[in-house]
Amino acid sequence: MPLDVLARNNVKVAGSGKQPMLFAHGFGCDQNMWRFVAPAFADDYKLVLFDYVGSGKSELSAYDATRYASLEGYARDVLDIIHALDLRDVVFVGHSVSAMVGVIAANREPDRFARLVLIGPSPRYINDPPNYVGGFERSDIEGLLETMDKNYIGWANYLAPAIMKNADRPELGAELTESFCSTDPVIARRFAEATFFSDNRTDLQHVRVPTLVLQCSEDIIAPNTVGEYVHRETPGSTLRVMRATGHCPHMSAPEETVSLIREFLESPVG
Amino acid sequence: MAETRAPVHAFELDATLDALPCGFFSFDDDGTVAAANSTLAAMLGYDRAELVGRQVETLLTVAGKIFLQTHLYPMVRLHGKAEELFLLMRRRDGGDVGVLLNAVRRERDGRGFIDCALMEVRERRKYEDALLRARQAADAANAALEERTRALEAANERLEEQAIELELQQHQLQEQTAELEAQSEELHAINDELLERSEELERAKNVAEEANRAKSQFLAVMSHELRTPLNAIGGYAQLIDMGVHGPVTDGQRGALERISRAQRHLLRLINDVLNLARIEAGRLEFTFEDVEVNDLVNSVMPMIEPQMAAARLRSIAAVPAGLTVRADREKVQQILINLLTNAVKFTPAGGTIRVTADSVDQHHVLVSVIDTGIGIPGDKLASVFEPFIQVDASHTRQTEGSGLGLAISRDLARGMGGDLRAQSEPGAGSTFSLLLPRA
Repeated sequence: MPLDVLARNNVKVAGSGKQPMLFAHGFGCDQNMWRFVAPAFADDYKLVLFDYVGSGKSELSAYDATRYASLEGYARDVLDIIHALDLRDVVFVGHSVSAMVGVIAANREPDRFARLVLIGPSPRYINDPPNYVGGFERSDIEGLLETMDKNYIGWANYLAPAIMKNADRPELGAELTESFCSTDPVIARRFAEATFFSDNRTDLQHVRVPTLVLQCSEDIIAPNTVGEYVHRETPGSTLRVMRATGHCPHMSAPEETVSLIREFLESPVG
Repeated sequence: MAETRAPVHAFELDATLDALPCGFFSFDDDGTVAAANSTLAAMLGYDRAELVGRQVETLLTVAGKIFLQTHLYPMVRLHGKAEELFLLMRRRDGGDVGVLLNAVRRERDGRGFIDCALMEVRERRKYEDALLRARQAADAANAALEERTRALEAANERLEEQAIELELQQHQLQEQTAELEAQSEELHAINDELLERSEELERAKNVAEEANRAKSQFLAVMSHELRTPLNAIGGYAQLIDMGVHGPVTDGQRGALERISRAQRHLLRLINDVLNLARIEAGRLEFTFEDVEVNDLVNSVMPMIEPQMAAARLRSIAAVPAGLTVRADREKVQQILINLLTNAVKFTPAGGTIRVTADSVDQHHVLVSVIDTGIGIPGDKLASVFEPFIQVDASHTRQTEGSGLGLAISRDLARGMGGDLRAQSEPGAGSTFSLLLPRA
């Protein structure tokens, strides 16, 4: 089965190091989002990149609505890959929703993990008054779903000729291969629901792996208060607030991101 | 979050951009707006100068902000451009503006900027809303249809399974039916054979019964034919003995005595044969009445007393009063005399003969004759009721008899709805029990 998993999740292995560094992309994109960060670790680590089933160039036929209705299903993708490549001592780097996917996977099989790097994590996006501020109301997420629907009308129309293998327009194929982060609209919608309606706050306290929390300044998706919450609830974690703003420091500020991760990896454990 | 920040990397726009009918703005990787045209400013209700230096997110609805971070920015950053994206922007007064946006990422002085050109969508948005609703309805209908198809398929599968099962059961039934038919034929054959044998047996039985009747008739006739000359022999011998035909010498008297004794023996023998023949020929008639057992026993005991005295035997009759049977008085007497005579014959001097009677159950009375005689061996006990049987041939001489007494007695008992049974222990004596219906 290992080969199936590698194809299913479009797993790419690179780098000349021994210790594996597993990069997990967030909602809305695919493994391409790591291309400004991952190469910096290629000399010292074995780089493992992949697309979740339903994202990027994964096998869409393997998509199972029940399995991927919650983050547990995505954590199983991570563990499947770890088993398929028999990875041990894994440095897990997860962005956004993948931060929590990594937490779930590491709690499931802590022996496989050496360290967790959580970029812009949020255990719950929706406010839970009076004690928890996630940053969003339910209606905000519903607005996002509608915006996605609107855009996928256009995308679906745009992709349709390619899907129908229109031989008259070969340039479409080339354009598609460059079209990163394009996703099946139905799956993208379900991924959005699994992400933004999740609540994994209780998983944090079970983490037994050294963890780095990278918190951006002025992150609309994971505000500072959420990063502090994650740091407070995760035993033995390190919180670093970045100069980078927004939610995607690995794309907007790759140098800072790389240096903070490197600093964490070189720090002694415990 | 700062509403404004120093537009460190702001740049001057070409004046022509201001004249365009569509909105334009540019922001850097940090999300800081570096430039905007007056068309956009008017669209959102800002002065153009107010837009520069703001975070781009302050110009978006919450959904628009998330979409920017999860889709628009990664696409533009990785792909270099994004086309025809729908985005909800937020006006200064809080209202939403739906825009269609193209974005390109450009480097200026070593810094990345995202340049966006956009136009407001009003009419198109309405159509898209309708289109979206229609598509969602279609998706829902499709899902429902798929669900129903799945249910139908499942039901169909179940039906097919049941059909297969039914077919199997039918097969089994057919096999069982065939087996049963085979068995039935076999049974018919056996039955036919049994019927044939039964008919054969019936025929054989009829033949046997016919033969038996013929035999009995023959015996009855013969007995009569024999009795007449025997009576003549006895009568004439008696007349000679009486001296009717002249004086009789002592030697002649002894001879006459022997003739008479032989004649009596022969006559008794013939009488017994005649009785048995009559019974077996079914010609015997019974006269039933209520008879007190005590009376019966008392009436027969005196008849046997002389023989008992001669054989030096003791007799004891112990019959409770009030015990009544439904029977033919004479036949019962005949049976009892026969049993007592037998007891006397086979009991050595000094022995005892007892007669008892008791009710066995509500419907039967048992009258027993118990002796202390020589007894009957177990293997012979069953045959004592056969005609012409005497257990020990050596006794024949000292105990004369036809050998028909017990056979006749049992036939008589059965003819009255009763029975005759024997128990014995060689050397200790025998018990003959007469079972009779209670009155």
